[in-house]
Amino acid sequence: MKRHIISAIIIALFMLAGCVDPDSTTLDMAGMFCGSSPRVDQRFAESQALNALSGFATVKAQSENYRIFVHADTHIMDSRDNLEHFIHEYRNALDCPLALHLGDLVDAQNHWDYMKAAYSDIPQNPAKIGGDTLFMTLGNHDLFFGQWEQYKNYWGSSAYYFIVETPSGKRDLFLILDSAEGTLGTDQMAWFKEVLNWSDTQDFRHKVVCTHTHLFKSDGSQGHTSNFELEETYEIMGLLAQHDVEMYWSAHDHSREEITFNGVTYLVLDALQEGSDPAGYMIATMGDDIGYRFVEMR
Amino acid sequence: MRRLFTIILLALPVLLLAQVQDGDNRYALSFNAGYAYNKTYQSYGNFDLGAYLPFNENVEAQVDMRFSTTNVHSFGLQVRPKITLPVGCLYFDTRLLYRDIARNEINEYSGDVLLGYRMQYVNVAIGCGMRVITPFHYEWHSVGLPVLEPFIFTYKVEGFVRPQTSKWNLSLCITNIDDYQIERVWQPLFMLGGWYNIDHNWRVRLSTECKPTGMFHLNAAFYGLDVRAGVEYRFGRGRK
Repeated sequence: MKRHIISAIIIALFMLAGCVDPDSTTLDMAGMFCGSSPRVDQRFAESQALNALSGFATVKAQSENYRIFVHADTHIMDSRDNLEHFIHEYRNALDCPLALHLGDLVDAQNHWDYMKAAYSDIPQNPAKIGGDTLFMTLGNHDLFFGQWEQYKNYWGSSAYYFIVETPSGKRDLFLILDSAEGTLGTDQMAWFKEVLNWSDTQDFRHKVVCTHTHLFKSDGSQGHTSNFELEETYEIMGLLAQHDVEMYWSAHDHSREEITFNGVTYLVLDALQEGSDPAGYMIATMGDDIGYRFVEMR
Repeated sequence: MRRLFTIILLALPVLLLAQVQDGDNRYALSFNAGYAYNKTYQSYGNFDLGAYLPFNENVEAQVDMRFSTTNVHSFGLQVRPKITLPVGCLYFDTRLLYRDIARNEINEYSGDVLLGYRMQYVNVAIGCGMRVITPFHYEWHSVGLPVLEPFIFTYKVEGFVRPQTSKWNLSLCITNIDDYQIERVWQPLFMLGGWYNIDHNWRVRLSTECKPTGMFHLNAAFYGLDVRAGVEYRFGRGRK
């Protein structure tokens, strides 16, 4: 019997080893066991240092009601038609002071050049060119294969907030979190609580939390994607409700979802990836209320 | 606090049933205390109370309660029909689990069914479960819906270094369930456990559970650890 068990274990180990293809260029299978980029606490420390240098952005909206173009999961590889279409639409929207990407900008290593070309050399976070502003969120595909340095050098901080101010002085808070390894980690969670506590003392019109990882596994579309651990899921849900955050925008699943729980609306966006069905993005309308609609690519 | 009393009141009759039973399948009570750490709560303590209730050769039940210093408490009931085969035992585990996540004012109701096969050295089981999440003060007839996770694939693969009738044993397990939680399919738990039978009635247990995060983000990292030690008292003297 013992020999059978030992044989089974050896076979299982061989099968597991077979999954770990060191030459894979799209999936960093070794990352299943040990991530190749710095862990979230270190990334957060580096992000804080960058935040200290650049400060937190305030974007001026031209009207009381403005729109935000939100895209996610572009997974840029060797084609970027959908992304270019999105950028074209965004740049032609008059009442749109910024766009937001919710992570998984590139599919894996070696795809950064395609991405850079699509965004026409938009250099920083918040990236500005020709009046455009783009805020970025770190996704797991932007992180594995040790891509943190590339991300950080190009986009900057992965945990920050920005404020949009309307002509009459109303302010909306957007809080960006780094969930690219399925946890916020201890330091970022503490900072998240700190910012939420601070936000309670400010007179924000709306509060929105944006990150890559979705919270729930509520339908079959999420079969292939992992989440936060349950403890962290509930902690985030509790904090959002406690601090009157109205929306949680996320991605990762590639399939849209709308859930309202305890006064918070949880959205998951469709992927903008080439070949996704449907591929799409979201346009949020920020007024006295937050409206949104999902746009499918034709 | 009222929820805690409700949990204890619900559990008491079952615990009181665990009085006297002779034979190999004996009623048992267990108590564990543990230290745990994770990236969300950081350091905390758990106290577990359990009862094992074999009704007859083919049906057994198990009650598990966990009280945590994080203000997250669990109450689980398992009923397990089983058939003893010439080699091993086939079982069908049905479970209901309630978690009172008081710190976040959330209720979690979950359940699963598992088909398992247990031998002297190996225990494997697969099944599925579901979860309903509601806020405290939720009104079930209201317009707002609870969060439903309708399908959770559950699994357990456990190996033992010695036959299960041994005086002591060690086990290694990979699963996404334990007595106090039903995790999502891609959030595995790795467990290392062992027991030592002091005499016919008393058994000491030690177990460690490691929870990584981001394995299927392909950015795996350590998330949490749960170490618990405890004793189990089995009533009667058994056949051996």
